[in-house]
Amino acid sequence: MSAREVRSIGQAGWGRTLGAAAVSILYFFPVLFIILAAFKTRQDILTWPVKFVFTPTLDNFVSVFFRVSVEGGAAEATGFGRYFFNSMFIGGSSVLLALVIGTAAAYGFSRFPLRGNDTYLFMILTTRMMPPIIAIIPIFVLFRIFGLSGTYQGIIALYTAFNLPFSIWMVKSFFDDLDRDIEDAARMDGSGEWRVFRRVCLPQIYAGLAATFVFAVILTWNEFVFALLLTGTETRTVPVQIVRTIGGAMGVDWGLLSALETLFIIPVVLVTFALQNQLLRGVTFGTIRR
Amino acid sequence: MDVTVSDLCRNFGRVAALQGVSLAVDAGEFFAILGPSGAGKTTLLRIVAGIEHADSGSVRLGGQDVASLPVRARNTAMVFQTFALYPHLTTFENLAYPLREQRTPRAEIARRVNEVAEMLRLSHTLARKPGTLSGGEQQRCAIGRALIRRPRLLLLDEPLTNLDAKLRHDTRAEFKRLHRELGSTTIIYATPDQLEALSMGQRIGVLRAGRIVQVDTPDALYRTPGDDFVAGLVGDPPINLLPGTLRATHSGTRIDLPFMGIDAGPWHAVLDGFGAGTRLTVGLRPQAIRPVTAEPDGPAFTARVFLTEPLGDVTILDILAHGETRLRMVLPQEQAWRIAVDDTIDCTVDADQICLFAHETGTAIPRDGTAAGG
Repeated sequence: MSAREVRSIGQAGWGRTLGAAAVSILYFFPVLFIILAAFKTRQDILTWPVKFVFTPTLDNFVSVFFRVSVEGGAAEATGFGRYFFNSMFIGGSSVLLALVIGTAAAYGFSRFPLRGNDTYLFMILTTRMMPPIIAIIPIFVLFRIFGLSGTYQGIIALYTAFNLPFSIWMVKSFFDDLDRDIEDAARMDGSGEWRVFRRVCLPQIYAGLAATFVFAVILTWNEFVFALLLTGTETRTVPVQIVRTIGGAMGVDWGLLSALETLFIIPVVLVTFALQNQLLRGVTFGTIRR
Repeated sequence: MDVTVSDLCRNFGRVAALQGVSLAVDAGEFFAILGPSGAGKTTLLRIVAGIEHADSGSVRLGGQDVASLPVRARNTAMVFQTFALYPHLTTFENLAYPLREQRTPRAEIARRVNEVAEMLRLSHTLARKPGTLSGGEQQRCAIGRALIRRPRLLLLDEPLTNLDAKLRHDTRAEFKRLHRELGSTTIIYATPDQLEALSMGQRIGVLRAGRIVQVDTPDALYRTPGDDFVAGLVGDPPINLLPGTLRATHSGTRIDLPFMGIDAGPWHAVLDGFGAGTRLTVGLRPQAIRPVTAEPDGPAFTARVFLTEPLGDVTILDILAHGETRLRMVLPQEQAWRIAVDDTIDCTVDADQICLFAHETGTAIPRDGTAAGG
């Protein structure tokens, strides 16, 4: 990766470069619009045509955390920090749990196949193919019976279950791509089955695990429907809070909404950026010449 | 450690990889297993190593049946065709791995890794990962990892296949030196390359489609192959195998080839039982055919040259005997240089080097005064 040659614009041709730039701007425009709006005053947001030059303000970000009531008086915390923490805590722990369980299951499916192995794998995949909302009523009932509504355990367990099929399939494909001779070499070198897994197989797929982690984190971070129905005030996640911000006595506060969304994007961008090398290796796993 | 393998069978689905293989390898011997790809060499080694199980049959290492012995207790090491180095570990850690698994003290590990790295000229690569090593370095690293535990049995599965020609030559010599230095370590070496087997093996077992067809010294394998398959496998360029027919003449029996006749006298004892018209396969080593210089001292024929392959010291000639039978012969350069394509040459055959096989079974027909089966 380090010795990769970088093309200059001249080599690609100006026409292509401009074309590519135009397409990128078109796709990135909604995001750009939101980020710009987060720094605008209400007047600037509602001006037509859209203003690209304006005096930026941080008022919207302040009102993400503090609400000033119409009747005056002291500013009051909105609890956004709490929801942000909820999103990270619920997303992070459910994805980690799914990854741990999924890796164990994937190794089992890959190395110790059962009779009907493919059938089990197929069933696991089909649960992922149906729209999750189909199961909402029974899940809602179950949450009521077991008193899980509005609890961390409940929503984490649910997200773990939803991330599992994806994690199992993806991690299994990484295990499948490993050279079995290396494991046999470890057995010859005196390793038992646990150490073959822990010391030889697992370290070889760290990049794949990182890629799986990022994909699952993004899915979970953005999840809305279950969070809306199954979290309470204490466990509410950011997507639910964003929607609750729409509406109100004063009409939609577009600036506040934009600021919320801008903050919401940041963690995903950071995680993806931090793991980008692993991500690239993860998604190209097995396409590399042996 | 001596190795005895009896009646090993192993099936993969409908494919029979091993069909009753029996072998006895002496302690400290360099034993080569020669066979084309798919013959079952790797399966045999893996069963001896313990990482594959046999459907039936037994493996005895040092006289002990190892059926219930776990892999790690067999004191056996293996070098894989793909080298199978741990890609996430440095050369040092690759070499240290077997010792760590044995809970060897740190200082001892460092000492032995350095010692092995020194011996295999890997010292400069200790901090690097396998992906950055050259093919030769990877291979030496794989050998080092196998040797560091000082195994009593070393299994080598086509370790030279992934190397280039020059490196192969050097490494063959290296293996012989290693074997001498290790002294009591038994080596079983699987290869599809007859040159590797002949040059390194003290004895060679030829494996064909899951069966051992012949076990012999390299010299015996070359001179008295047990059947036409072994004859075709051993020797470079490959032996000429030609259809022949037994004929009775007034002065005795003769074997008719399309372009000449051979006196059947040397095989009299066996051929006597066969009737005239029996079909045979005649094996002529390319080295046994030479141009007639003065009076031919053996059977002679005329041939047209249609292809020459000069290899520097020798030249391989493809000739058409009597305009129809294609043959291959090898000539030293000083004799070959004045022969050109389309030349006609008179050739003779060194009668002592002719091999004879039954046509249907391919089994060798021994010369009078030698034991059957070579």
